[in-house]
Amino acid sequence: MRYICTCCGYTYDPAKGDEMNQVAPGVEFDDLPDSWVCPLCYATKDQFDPLD
Amino acid sequence: MKVSVSSLYQAVELNQEIPPLLIGERCNPNGSKAFREALLAEDWDSCLKMALDQEARGAQVLDLCVAYAGRDELSDMNTLVKLFAGSCKAPLMLDSTSPETLSAVLPLYPGRAIINSINLEDGGANLDKICALAKKYGAAVVALTITEEGMALTCEKKVAAAKEIYRLAVEKHGLRAQDILFDLLTFTVGSGDEKMRDAAIQTLDAIKQVKKELPGVGFTLGVSNISFGLRPAARKVLNSVFLHEAVAAGLNTAIVDAAKVLPYVAISDEDRQLCLDLLFNRSDDALMNFIEHFEQAVEESDEEESDTLLEEQLRQKVLKGDKEGLEDLLTELRGRWQPLDIINGLLVPAMREVGELFGRGELLLPFVLQSAEVMKQSVNLLEPYMEKLSDEGRTSILLATVAGDVHDIGKNLVDIILSNNGYKVHNIGIKVPAEEIIAKAKELQVDVVGLSGLLVKSALLMKENMLQFQAAGLTQPVLLGGAALTPKFVAEDCVPGYENQVVYCADAFAGLKAIRDFESGSLQSTRWESAAVAANKPGPQQEGIDRSQIPPSVPFLGEKIIEDLPAEPLFNYLNQAALFRGRWGYRRGKMSKEEYAELTDKTVLPLYARLKDQALSENWLQPKVAYGYFDCCSEGDSLLVHSTSGEKRFDFPRQPAPPHLCIADYFRSAEEGGDKVGFFVVTIGDRLAEMTSELYASDSYHDYLMLHGLGVELTDGLAEYWHEQMRIEMGLQQQAQADVAAYVAQGYQGSRYGFGYPACPDLEAHLPLFELVKAQQIGVGLTESFEMVPEMSTSAIVVHHPQAKYFAV
Repeated sequence: MRYICTCCGYTYDPAKGDEMNQVAPGVEFDDLPDSWVCPLCYATKDQFDPLD
Repeated sequence: MKVSVSSLYQAVELNQEIPPLLIGERCNPNGSKAFREALLAEDWDSCLKMALDQEARGAQVLDLCVAYAGRDELSDMNTLVKLFAGSCKAPLMLDSTSPETLSAVLPLYPGRAIINSINLEDGGANLDKICALAKKYGAAVVALTITEEGMALTCEKKVAAAKEIYRLAVEKHGLRAQDILFDLLTFTVGSGDEKMRDAAIQTLDAIKQVKKELPGVGFTLGVSNISFGLRPAARKVLNSVFLHEAVAAGLNTAIVDAAKVLPYVAISDEDRQLCLDLLFNRSDDALMNFIEHFEQAVEESDEEESDTLLEEQLRQKVLKGDKEGLEDLLTELRGRWQPLDIINGLLVPAMREVGELFGRGELLLPFVLQSAEVMKQSVNLLEPYMEKLSDEGRTSILLATVAGDVHDIGKNLVDIILSNNGYKVHNIGIKVPAEEIIAKAKELQVDVVGLSGLLVKSALLMKENMLQFQAAGLTQPVLLGGAALTPKFVAEDCVPGYENQVVYCADAFAGLKAIRDFESGSLQSTRWESAAVAANKPGPQQEGIDRSQIPPSVPFLGEKIIEDLPAEPLFNYLNQAALFRGRWGYRRGKMSKEEYAELTDKTVLPLYARLKDQALSENWLQPKVAYGYFDCCSEGDSLLVHSTSGEKRFDFPRQPAPPHLCIADYFRSAEEGGDKVGFFVVTIGDRLAEMTSELYASDSYHDYLMLHGLGVELTDGLAEYWHEQMRIEMGLQQQAQADVAAYVAQGYQGSRYGFGYPACPDLEAHLPLFELVKAQQIGVGLTESFEMVPEMSTSAIVVHHPQAKYFAV
């Protein structure tokens, strides 16, 4: 499931991963570490909304 | 055995510890005029309001019927089930005998519903279809004892019909006994019809017998049918006594107007006897005696009946943020309570509930603010009738945005929440130096000090403030909030500097919780386990930066002012996700995708469209730009910018950890041939900022948040728009695309870094920047701590290098 950052609108798509945080494709949002933050605005995980 | 039905939010046991389970009957066009009118007018909000009102009055399950001549049952049911499912905590009873309707709405309902109902009127064809649906979707089913002969009037026929239905539903369709709720039907004992004198007895006996012969099944009953034709005041008593008897016989659920059920103990012995005589047909005169007795009873209109619930109505007004009729309601309540008791006994607990709902993600920020508006208006309406709210004994809080920081929305939200929860708040404004905070805290003898600030620099300042507070001998606990703060920073950098508690508050409700903890003596400083996670620092991971990147051609060197920009294009660059979910707080939370889409379509987008129209037709926006292109070269961590007014130096911080990025690295040095750099300052003017201050001053909390958020995002939209213009001018992009989704993810060449943000947090860079682009010409100035005013302005350095992307130092 994709998640959207409520602060800047960045979308985390597990199919793409997150290069800026060195997250490989295939990692579900729930499985990202708690230390993970939005690669664009540094919002924390709890500031994301499910998108799908 | 525990048997439950459920909504999206909760499960409810059919067998309550104190039976019966109350099923609200009002959402039915055939039984409620108000619901009928709302349905015919397609006023769905009013339909929902009736459902929520029933919940508030004690209904644990909600019956929903929309079958009405001339209406499309399937379509109406579809609309209302979706609406109710997201908003009602009570599980739904889907009141329809149409398999088509039921098969359409059962899959939409996110819980275990009850189907109302099946019967044998047509010999069982419909029953077959509906039982199959019940089985498929796991629903419970109400079964009416109606056969091809008609409604079963006698105990014997009721039992026979029940057994036949049981045989089909359980043995043929595989439902479980506990999935069935028999409605053995009851008819009025108030008509004087000789044949119906024992109607109550037949029903009560049938309940007992079915319970014995078909173990495990449940029951329900449209209780008020027993008194049809009698006067309202008499009906209420008779219904309640009959309900009591039916429960004694084994009834576990009842379809009622939950507000009209009297507690049995509240009925006088005399009234009880008259009811029992009538119900159990104990004398020929029972009906006449009953009618004569209740002739004397005060005629109760619907209005009077709701009298007992004025307190509940006020609670609902706060929970729903509904100001309609508030003045009348409070006038009536003042007849019962002292104004102060209304505030402390009714309003404050309701606001507490609002906070709890917000905390659980069940209420969104815009609705919380509407609740706070109801609270505020109530207090304003009550104040003339009481001595001024005494401050004595009330916990008082000093609130300030720290020196150098002009951002006040966060602080003001805290003010709104705290003051509308009954606390005394001294909000002393923005850019408040530590000395002034200390003086005010001493002078006002506040109990708690709250500091706010958005900027990275404000976080550092709070750390310094702690030392100053300590040195000045302050002893109040300090609450800290702001975008750049983290619990780690507060625990490691702020807590050690101050002897008393220093507490990180993530939002206004965390602040409220901290105040309550303070009152109960359990407030503790924020702690941070160093073993716990440290936040990532995302960014480009490249090792080296390509030095061979040729500088772009720029259309001119020096600065330019653009003052005649149309406002409308800004909306094409506005980041709706950030506005709706972030600034406005319309987060999806626990909603399904469909529910959130509905909230967006019905509430958020219309609001946005309305504000956009107003902004354009009333000229709220005066977008202006000061920008320029300059020759430059990097020198270590600095960028030297050449202009006609001399050389300006920008010092940029470098990441202490790999890959050790620094903005200066994206530019060629003098030896490498030098480079080109762009800068801009943009503003939407001060009109919107003035309007938001007025809204805040007039306690229009909801509109305040909405307008402020719109302004901030439009400012960012303008920056996005102008950055695109500059990319086009430099030949980095062919034409305008206004692709917000792509721009959010920096889907373009280069980057714009805002001063005060993570890659270049130092606001002092505004000094050379303002000299370069002459931003004062578009009405933007700097505070003593180098922040821009008006607030709705933003600045950036525009970097063309393809490897330049956001990072944090």
